[in-house]
Amino acid sequence: MLEQEIAVVNKLGLHARAAAKLVQLLAGFQSNAVMRCRGREVNAKSIMGVMLLAAAQGSTVLMRLDGPDEAEAMQAAVALFARCFDEGS
Amino acid sequence: MSVGLLLLTHEGAAQPFVPLVQRLLGRLPLRIESFELRFDTDLDATLPQASAALRRADSGDGVLILTDLYGASPSNLAARLTQLGTPARRVAGLNLPMLLRACNYPDQTLDELALTAAHGGKTGVVLDHA
Repeated sequence: MLEQEIAVVNKLGLHARAAAKLVQLLAGFQSNAVMRCRGREVNAKSIMGVMLLAAAQGSTVLMRLDGPDEAEAMQAAVALFARCFDEGS
Repeated sequence: MSVGLLLLTHEGAAQPFVPLVQRLLGRLPLRIESFELRFDTDLDATLPQASAALRRADSGDGVLILTDLYGASPSNLAARLTQLGTPARRVAGLNLPMLLRACNYPDQTLDELALTAAHGGKTGVVLDHA
C-alpha cells in the first residue's frame, strides 16, 4: 500500500475533464485507488467520486494505491497532477 | 461489444449531451445516439424514426434508453421502443452525472448498466457542498 499527498496545481482544480483524465489513467492500472480530501474519501477510479471532492487549485489530496502496480500508478498520477492534466496551466 | 445508449428526451434536451461527453472524456467509450421528441408530434408517427435511432445505438448487446422525465411523452415512447425486439432498459431523469457514470462502465451488461446509470444520476444531485 502506498500513500502520497499530491498538490492540485492546475488553475481549474479537479474539474470534469481533469477528473476524467485521472480516472482514465488509473483505469490502466490494477491497483485500487482511493483519494481523500478534507475528510472525504472517494474511489479515485470513479469520475463522480473524484468530482465530489471538489478539489480546487491550492488544495492537497491524499492518494492511496494498493495493488501489484501501485508504484507505477502513483508515479503516473503524480506526473499527471504536476503537468496540470495537460491543460497548460 | 458493449451496450449502446439512446438519449430520448424533449426537444433540445438530448443532443447537446453527446458533444459534451465527448469533450469531457476525450472519446465516447460506448455508442451514444440521441433522439428528441418534438412538441406537437404524434407518438405513433414518431415510432419508426425513434426505432431507427434505437437500432443505430445497438451493437448487439442491447440499448439503455435514458429519458429526461418519467411519465412524459419521451419516456412513454421509450416504453414502446422496449417492445420492438431489441433488448432495452429505461432509466428516467437523465443528467450529466448519470451519463458520465454510464460511460465509465462500458463493459457492463444491459441490466448492470441500468442500475449503474440510475445510481450515478441519484448520487450526482448534491445540495450545497458535498
